[in-house]
Amino acid sequence: MTAKLSDRATGQALEPVVPTSATPKKRRGYWFDFNQSLPVNQRLILGAVGWVAFFLLWQITAQMDLAPDRLYPGPVAVFDSLKTLFLEQNFLSDVISSITRIVASFVIAVLIALPLGLLMGSFARVDGVLNPLLGAWRYLPAPAFIPLLLMWLGTGNSQKITLLLMGVVFFLVIMLADVTRQTPKVLIETAKTLGGGRRIILWTVLFRHSLPGYVDTCRQMLAVSWTYLVIAEIVAATDGIGAMMMRAKRFVHVDDIMAGIVTIGVLGLLFDVLFRLIYRKCFPYLGRSHS
Amino acid sequence: MPSSNGLSISNVGKTFRSGGRDIQALENISLELPAGKVGVLLGPSGCGKSTLLRMVAGLENPSEGTITLNGRAVDQPGRDRGMVFQDYTSFPWLSVKDNVAYGLRINSDRSALNEGTVEHFIRAVGLEKFADAYPHQLSGGMRQRVAIARTLANYPELLLMDEPFGALDPETRWQMQDLLLGIVRKERTSVMVVSHDIEEALYLGDVVFFLSRHPGRLKEVIHTDFKSALPPNDREAFLQSEEYRRLELHIRRLMQDEGRDAA
Repeated sequence: MTAKLSDRATGQALEPVVPTSATPKKRRGYWFDFNQSLPVNQRLILGAVGWVAFFLLWQITAQMDLAPDRLYPGPVAVFDSLKTLFLEQNFLSDVISSITRIVASFVIAVLIALPLGLLMGSFARVDGVLNPLLGAWRYLPAPAFIPLLLMWLGTGNSQKITLLLMGVVFFLVIMLADVTRQTPKVLIETAKTLGGGRRIILWTVLFRHSLPGYVDTCRQMLAVSWTYLVIAEIVAATDGIGAMMMRAKRFVHVDDIMAGIVTIGVLGLLFDVLFRLIYRKCFPYLGRSHS
Repeated sequence: MPSSNGLSISNVGKTFRSGGRDIQALENISLELPAGKVGVLLGPSGCGKSTLLRMVAGLENPSEGTITLNGRAVDQPGRDRGMVFQDYTSFPWLSVKDNVAYGLRINSDRSALNEGTVEHFIRAVGLEKFADAYPHQLSGGMRQRVAIARTLANYPELLLMDEPFGALDPETRWQMQDLLLGIVRKERTSVMVVSHDIEEALYLGDVVFFLSRHPGRLKEVIHTDFKSALPPNDREAFLQSEEYRRLELHIRRLMQDEGRDAA
């Protein structure tokens, strides 16, 4: 029972009274009612159940001789090779170059997309010019530009960062513009009748109202960035997580390839958690209900 | 002749284009609201009363006619005409205190900020205990108090309100009406309120402008001078007075006529 009643006079939440002596009788349909909200510890347990089941299934199928161990290693073998990679093969420097590429390209993408998205979401005439143009660019697959980028920029970091940038920047502009456009008109009109000029309203209402939405959009687009990373590092790269995986393929080190996949997954998750923390720390006024 | 003191609306009309057709929302409205008075725009839904208020705010432009406030023509929104909306408009990222200070900050009004204007109006609406709270922690009535304090702290020459208490439950609405009248009398602010509630209109207004619809026209101007003979802030006495009953019945009949025309 997490429903809260709101006391109109004080705005404080009142917890419903729950009998404490006898254990409450479980209603029919207790396990699978619609729209239930679960306490945190139960969510953690359920999440762990999913993961443990996955690893068990993986380990069991790996031991069942469905495929040669070399081609289908179990989780234990993969974690072993992960340890070897970090301790003996300097995998950390690969990880660091990958993170550097992601962060550099994403910072540039945000620096380009934020002003454009803010202006497009605020002014219909800016949107009228840029939306048809940038909206169309979204549908051009970034990897299709690899041959061009290789010729223009060579095989170095700038080519990889440009590819990552192209993969996210167009989506980012359109999505940030959408977030900006959701600013309630009545807030803008209130600011106008309080004497706010265009520049002041742009910053103190539209930008400020959209800020949580911007952070959330960046969190989602960063996940897309990680998918382009592997593509960028598979082509003519000497370092990075993707490059390591391509080297491993040449020697049929499937456990190393899987270790690379796991590393990317964990890193992606860590960045996601980081953005969620920023969101919660910076926007306490949204409350828990996100209303 | 429009007087130079107060709000003056002369021959104002508004035509919207919709689906290739012109729709006349307001036709030839002329009215005067002297400074320091409370005016109410009352009428059935669709009579264009909110549109008229938005034109006074400068958020929309009239198709014909002119609007002047204290002798100056209105053509865009400005600090002199602060508006309170029916929707909750507290900025969710600002505390109550910062919401109330918003208008003075964006106008760089250092002197008003230093003189304790913000604290004065937070006290006036009875939110001193909630000065550091965020809007999501407040009830609907409290959020409207924030909106009123924020608008008044900016010292508008005319306070505009578009059905400000329409979303509140009856008891809170009555409280807010008394609160508003108390502040407005003390600060001598001019107010124009849009309402569709007859009791609210007569209780708040010194002058009630009744608008008819399709197109919106000014049908009748009702003065509520009878209230000066009543004890102040006494809703019971107001509701039981003979004048109130007479005017309420009169306006109710006007409303019913409007309803019949529409049907």
